[in-house]
Amino acid sequence: MMNKLLLIDDEPDILKVLSMSLRADGYQVHTALSGAEGLEIFETEHPQIVLTDIRMPGMDGIEVLKRIKDASENTEVIIITGHGDLDLAIEALQNGASDFINKPVRGLSLEIALKRAEEKLEIREKLAAYTQNLEKEVRLATRELLRKSNFLSRLIRSSNDGIVATDRDFTVIVFNPGAERIFGRTAEDVINRVRIDAIFPGEIAGIFMNAGTHLEGAEVVGWRETTIQNVDGSPIPVGFSGALLMEETQVMGSVAFFQDLREIKRLEKELLHSERLAAIGQTVAGLTHGIKNVLHGFKGGSYLVDLGIGKGDSEKLTSGWDMVKRNIARTSDLVMDLLTYSKEREPEFEDCQPNAIAADVAETVKDTAEENGVAVVTDFDPGIGTVRMDPHIIHPSLLNLMTNAIDACIFDEDTSKQWQVRLRTVLEDDRVILLEVSDNGTGMTDEVRDKLFASFFSTKGHRGTGLGMLVTQKLIEEHNGTIDVSTQPGKGSTFSVRLPFEVAGNDM
Amino acid sequence: MSKRVLVVDDDPDVRLFNTTVLEENGYTPLEATNGEEGLEIIRKELPDLVILDVMMPKQSGIRLYRELKTDKALKDIPVIILSGIAEKTFLRSQNALTEFGGEQVPPPQTYIEKPVEPDELASVVKKALG
Repeated sequence: MMNKLLLIDDEPDILKVLSMSLRADGYQVHTALSGAEGLEIFETEHPQIVLTDIRMPGMDGIEVLKRIKDASENTEVIIITGHGDLDLAIEALQNGASDFINKPVRGLSLEIALKRAEEKLEIREKLAAYTQNLEKEVRLATRELLRKSNFLSRLIRSSNDGIVATDRDFTVIVFNPGAERIFGRTAEDVINRVRIDAIFPGEIAGIFMNAGTHLEGAEVVGWRETTIQNVDGSPIPVGFSGALLMEETQVMGSVAFFQDLREIKRLEKELLHSERLAAIGQTVAGLTHGIKNVLHGFKGGSYLVDLGIGKGDSEKLTSGWDMVKRNIARTSDLVMDLLTYSKEREPEFEDCQPNAIAADVAETVKDTAEENGVAVVTDFDPGIGTVRMDPHIIHPSLLNLMTNAIDACIFDEDTSKQWQVRLRTVLEDDRVILLEVSDNGTGMTDEVRDKLFASFFSTKGHRGTGLGMLVTQKLIEEHNGTIDVSTQPGKGSTFSVRLPFEVAGNDM
Repeated sequence: MSKRVLVVDDDPDVRLFNTTVLEENGYTPLEATNGEEGLEIIRKELPDLVILDVMMPKQSGIRLYRELKTDKALKDIPVIILSGIAEKTFLRSQNALTEFGGEQVPPPQTYIEKPVEPDELASVVKKALG
């Protein structure tokens, strides 16, 4: 690019010689014979470089320099000085001149001064371009960052799950509408105000706060089900997962995700209920069979009673009356089983002693067992004290399993055996109790085992309602427990019931 | 000599009821608690009539009835089915067994659904014994 240059000197000869030499070097040269004329040309031509004599009539070189620098800071001004003008030269440099050359102007010194001026111009131009570019980059990056941050915060807001993030001190900094719904608190009330131990269940807060700094990388807490206490006191079942957010080896925060399981739990329950009603409807035939047998027993009983009265035969009277009583009991069993099975019931947790309940069940069945040559053995874990469970679930479940176990021995044809039914309690861990009923009776074939929890299936003929295992299973599931069975034909069966419990004395 | 009638039923109440009705009407009752035991007694005692339940542990009434009706020596013994199962259910199961490659068996002499009045039971027994 050809540089524009303005040359100001009051001596026309110098102007002519210099401008010729500079044009020959490739500059586009404008000339002025005074400071005032020079400034006028400067206004219209905007040269990048100005060469001006320092001593001129009217406006001198220093004044020209000052005005040009005022108007355009980036213009390079080179001062031409005479001998002994050192002070003026210094003043010029102080006022922003880029260089000075002495008169008479020699080619070499002019060339060097111009080159320096050009280099300065070039650097300044590059710097300007670089700065401009940088500003543009920063602007773009800022906009992108803003967009991403908006996107992320909208993503968090619109999530149906509750999302709670904290800083390194576990103070809440993100609390989305999903979290507001689950916890029943507003974001305003918690953000920057509380730590997670104030709102999370202790167990979950502990996972984060006790994790320490020994972990490396983002430590993820796997999915698990837990219960959140809403501020209105209602327990909310949730699926929880979370992560410690790490930067290098430093904890920078944490994030927890809570999935509201209320709707899923409600649907599950509804489905179970309708399945149960359907099972009852489908098996009216089975039920009818049971009822017909009971009615037959009543008719038989009343027939014998009538005979006994008519003939004054007290033996017939007694056996008839016994028959009526037995069938009253059968009716009661059938109706109660049906009621328990079809009715929705929330478990009612209260302080109770599982070992005492188990002992009571063992005592209840002991006489019948011993009459039939079956020994009842108990083995209770002394570590189980008073806990919060639903005794109205434990008792009937154990009673049913114990009665079945005794029947399995009574039905056993291998009379060489010493029949035994064993009731065991074990504290499995700090939240689950195992109740185990085992016998060495008939055991079950695969076919019987498969039908174990089917309605109106009974291997006991007239003795079973065909609902016992179904009712037991339902009760255990209502208590969030599990029931497992292992069996071997001819060797016996073991039923393992695992029920969760809560620590006693925690009345809420 | 009074006629001998075998009662096959797993329910002791039903057996007591039925045998009492039989005694009161001048018959000699015999008892079996399941199909297996029933067939054994039939072979040994050759009773004049069998009153048979359907749903029993071990061998069911459905099986016992087939064995009885396909055995030359026994097929003429009349059978009264006394069950909580509906008659058509019993017949359907017999037909299914026949289709499955079994011999055709005649329907039972009499089919009564539980519960039964003592008088009714006495009258069908009398009729079956001719």
